[in-house]
Amino acid sequence: MDDLCIIGAGSGGYVAAIRGAQYGLRVLLIEKDQLGGTCLNRGCIPTKCFIHDVKILTAAKRSPVMKGADRVSIDIDKMVSRKRQVVKTMVDGLAMIMKGHGVRVVQGQGELLAPGQVRVHTMDGRRSEESVKYVVLATGAKPGTPPFLSVDGHFVQTTDEALDPKDLPAKLLIIGGGVIGLEMTAIYRLLGSEVTILELLPDIIINEDAEIRKAMRMLMEQQGVKIHLEAKVKEVKIREEKVEIDYENQKGQVEKLQADRVLVATGRIPVLEGIDVQNLGLGMNEPFIKVNGKFETNLPGVYAIGDVVGGMMLAHKASAEAEAVLANILGQPKRIKPELIPRCIWGLAEVASVGLTEEEAKAKGRHVRVGKFPYMSNGAAQAMDDINGFVKIVGDSESGEILGVHMIGQHATDLISEAVTLMTLEATVEDFAEGIKPHPTLSETLMEAALDWSGILVHKLKQ
Amino acid sequence: MATEVVLPALGLTVEKGKILEWYKKEGDPVQKGELIFLVEADKVTTDVESPSSGILSKILIPVGVEVPILTVVAIITGPGEKLAAKSLTKGPQPSAAKTYEKPPTPVSPGGGLEGRATSLSDRGVVPAARRKAKEYGVDLSQILGTGPNGVILLKDVEGVLAGESKISAVKASTLARKLAEKEGVPLKEVQGTGIRGRIMQADVKAYLERPTATAAEPPLGSTIPMSTIRRIIARRMSESAFSAPHIYFFSEVWLDPLLQFREELLPVFEKHFNLRPSINDFLIKAVALNIADFPMLNAQLKGEQIHIMPEINIGLAVAMPEGLIVPAIPRADRVGLVEIVRQRSDLVGRAREGKLTLQEIERGTFTISSLAHYDITHFTAILNPPQSGILSVGKTDEKLVLVEGQVRVKCITRLGLSVDHRIVDGTMAADFLQHLKWKLEHPAFTFMSL
Repeated sequence: MDDLCIIGAGSGGYVAAIRGAQYGLRVLLIEKDQLGGTCLNRGCIPTKCFIHDVKILTAAKRSPVMKGADRVSIDIDKMVSRKRQVVKTMVDGLAMIMKGHGVRVVQGQGELLAPGQVRVHTMDGRRSEESVKYVVLATGAKPGTPPFLSVDGHFVQTTDEALDPKDLPAKLLIIGGGVIGLEMTAIYRLLGSEVTILELLPDIIINEDAEIRKAMRMLMEQQGVKIHLEAKVKEVKIREEKVEIDYENQKGQVEKLQADRVLVATGRIPVLEGIDVQNLGLGMNEPFIKVNGKFETNLPGVYAIGDVVGGMMLAHKASAEAEAVLANILGQPKRIKPELIPRCIWGLAEVASVGLTEEEAKAKGRHVRVGKFPYMSNGAAQAMDDINGFVKIVGDSESGEILGVHMIGQHATDLISEAVTLMTLEATVEDFAEGIKPHPTLSETLMEAALDWSGILVHKLKQ
Repeated sequence: MATEVVLPALGLTVEKGKILEWYKKEGDPVQKGELIFLVEADKVTTDVESPSSGILSKILIPVGVEVPILTVVAIITGPGEKLAAKSLTKGPQPSAAKTYEKPPTPVSPGGGLEGRATSLSDRGVVPAARRKAKEYGVDLSQILGTGPNGVILLKDVEGVLAGESKISAVKASTLARKLAEKEGVPLKEVQGTGIRGRIMQADVKAYLERPTATAAEPPLGSTIPMSTIRRIIARRMSESAFSAPHIYFFSEVWLDPLLQFREELLPVFEKHFNLRPSINDFLIKAVALNIADFPMLNAQLKGEQIHIMPEINIGLAVAMPEGLIVPAIPRADRVGLVEIVRQRSDLVGRAREGKLTLQEIERGTFTISSLAHYDITHFTAILNPPQSGILSVGKTDEKLVLVEGQVRVKCITRLGLSVDHRIVDGTMAADFLQHLKWKLEHPAFTFMSL
């Protein structure tokens, strides 16, 4: 009998498996597809491979000093095969790690029969049943599509297909201006497609700080991306090798658009295959599995983490929850503070943030003071020839508590780590400037924003 | 010749004391009679004088540690004299060493103090500093060495112990420190839940929201340990009740003249002295004057001898959440009412803040206990040993009284007198109470010299 069975080997499941094994538990990990889940196979890592490639292309094309830059192009097949190689390297690496920790990995569809009772349906049609002490459901999420849309994988795609492209659509229409929509926009726009976004809500990436959203929108529009906000898609038809879309605009008028391909990025829904919610009597927080602060479901010994419980659908959130669930199982209560989970977007510019937006902080009645610094005034950004971006620190003017940090610009997703660390250590805004920053680097922007917050900015004209 | 400084006997009932503050640092010259530390015992604080002149070479008991009385707390040496090696470790008294409690070592799960202290060997810590740090549970990694190349010296560790050093031995996040500073939370008392026991903001908040002793009544069926002050009250009260045979006397006092007298005096007092005398102040003065006429009520039985105390010091019982405390106004018969009002308000105020000195409590020779604010007509009081008299004061009521066949309204207060029958007989007690009644009913005459 194993101590711990984890269904799903994504960023939540595999981390839970390793931690469990490290704590001396006998661990069974069930995965129907590949180790690494969405993140590694169909999400974070593939998109980052593509983003890297298209950014090199863009940098070369825009370079004022390179010769022949106008003739540079990308070999789509090679781009896809490079991504596959990266994914394979990572998946193989994970398999080695699992083996090294003595985690029993079974490939198949896991089914929760009852608390402590799990069945595995392997690919060759066999079934086996396992008794375990604890079950962690880490089944993740998959692309959710509106009911009137049928994904055919060619004209109408989700990220599952769009990350394995065989060719490039001349005109791409993306439904959804969230994180996924913006990242796919970056890849296809920089490869040369004409991209239009239809977003149902009043703004793109609606959870981000208003100033960041505005900067992002401007940047996208400057680079030729068309954005329609408060756009309600009514109908999608395929006619003569083209996709025709009817949508209702802000004024309630129906408009028509035509594209070569539609990418549906309207959010993700939990994967509940193998979990008979009704029969098990599993408590739900529709459409997600309901858990308490210790990631316990209402069933004894059954826990759930990652995308399947909702919240921010991010790999590092799932991994953090994996750490916490193991600590809780082992009786060392550990909680995750949502305000300390960073958010990253690899769009036409990188966006990274942690904590409260300025609007949220004000709504909470905090004494808000903001410090900002533009990439334009940073030597490293100038040297790298990309000055689009800024850093914004939202702090409590009385205690100096860092309430939120918001960044847009190159390497923002790397730079946000410093903010997360300082906030986790409960440092104050002034602490950003207390440590000496290496020069010339983009990390100086955070220091400068903190100095601006304190009213003692160095590299800016006196106002 | 080295002199051992001991925690003095602070009173008959005091067993232990805690040093709140060292006024002198190690190495400071001290004069005989100079105040060197402040000690707290039984909720009162007392300054302690240096027993000899010389150099305060060694402080053995740091601030905040409770030790039994007569424990050696410091060593004073003559000029140029070297400290004996044994003094450098713990107290020379084996008994003291045994009962000495170390300050709690900060809890650091996952990384013991020992481990980190050893890892500092590369950086350099002089052996004496390392020994001292280990003894007091000081985290060496938190100390900035002032020796050559940052070597941690003994004085660096002692600096942290004395609270002088800015580098605290407590690990806390910036926000936790700020919150603690704002709310006046001593970080040393906060349990850290962060990495390696680091104190986080939430820990300070949890400390602030912790249930306090007085916040909630203990539930039925619970057992609670006696606090120090409760223990002392229990011992003293049973000692008094079972060794001094009490007799009780009650008398009704017509209070209208005194109330009227006070009303007339109030504006004068407020204008000239910015003071508001209470009825208690007049009572204190009247009782003191009355004792001058009946010195046996100022007497204390010690063995086979009756000691008639030289000063008439009137104690006033002050109720506090932890228990009763009785500071006394010295020579209340001699000082004017203005001075009595001043002293009374100062003493009562400091009693509530726990800032009385032991002497202010122990000097009392007679006690007044008033429940005038309650709907209590009269009550019996137990003597405050070793005193021989205590006056209990009930509420003031308007009563219908027959005066020369006419029904009149009078304000009446019932006074009770408890005396130690071993010293004071019934007739004397009755006389005392009757005279006091007369004094209170004839205020102009009694308080002629204010």
